Amino acid sequence: MKDIEDFLRENRPSVKDDPAFLMETRRRMKAVEGIKTEVDRQRRSGRRALIIALAGGLALGVLATILAFLYPVDLQSFDGGFLQSARIFLDTWKMYLIYPVAVLAVTLSLVLTLGGRKTARL
Amino acid sequence: MTQERFIDLARAEQEPLRRFLLALCSGNAALADDIAQDALVRAYVASGSFLGLSKFSTWLFRIAYNCYIDHCRKSRLEEAPVEAALAVPADDTSDASFRYQQLYQAMDRLPEKEKAAIALFYFEDRSIKEISSILGMPSGTVKYHLSMGRNHLKQYIQL
Repeated sequence: MKDIEDFLRENRPSVKDDPAFLMETRRRMKAVEGIKTEVDRQRRSGRRALIIALAGGLALGVLATILAFLYPVDLQSFDGGFLQSARIFLDTWKMYLIYPVAVLAVTLSLVLTLGGRKTARL
Repeated sequence: MTQERFIDLARAEQEPLRRFLLALCSGNAALADDIAQDALVRAYVASGSFLGLSKFSTWLFRIAYNCYIDHCRKSRLEEAPVEAALAVPADDTSDASFRYQQLYQAMDRLPEKEKAAIALFYFEDRSIKEISSILGMPSGTVKYHLSMGRNHLKQYIQL
């Protein structure tokens, strides 16, 4: 066994110092840097759009609520009793509705966790 | 980590890294350098996640090993390394050239884990603990792969 160990130690592969190697690495890093900057820019603009959409939605919701309070209407005359029957349905089945809600919550958390792990691995 | 700082660290590690990959690629220098560059770029992108819990070189070698495994999965270059092993550097003496041919052809026949363990232990003088971190396996498994690798190489190489 000593022979093979000596053979391996005596014949380790030789690598010549190559300045072109680091130059090429630097070139690839620069290219990646450009992509990273672009991805960051897109992520920032996406986040800005999301914040604007959330703020707009909130403002519209507040406006709608204020208008509803200012001009109260009889909803049953609009929806033909749909809201009333939905309320009764929820009231009747509220004991069982918790299960699909729980399943959905667990699925959503799993999807988000696995998605997060995939991103972190990069 | 800034690009310049990373380049400084990479410059210090480029020779052992390329030698390790050259051994894994059974003497195919072009392929080894390509994987080494890929590994350095990946390491640079992930440099923010390097916490300094292990040595920079251990971390870099682990990335390089993963790149090599990815490459093996993507392209099934089973024959190419043997062909490359025949193309040894021209300035080597014929005896040394024959020994390199023998070595690379024998290395090419080893399973990936044995090849990596042998390359790190004998060519890079890494400790079992470091090899265990790089290959992501317990120390006992590293010793097993080393022992199996040595036995296989003994069968393949005419000393």
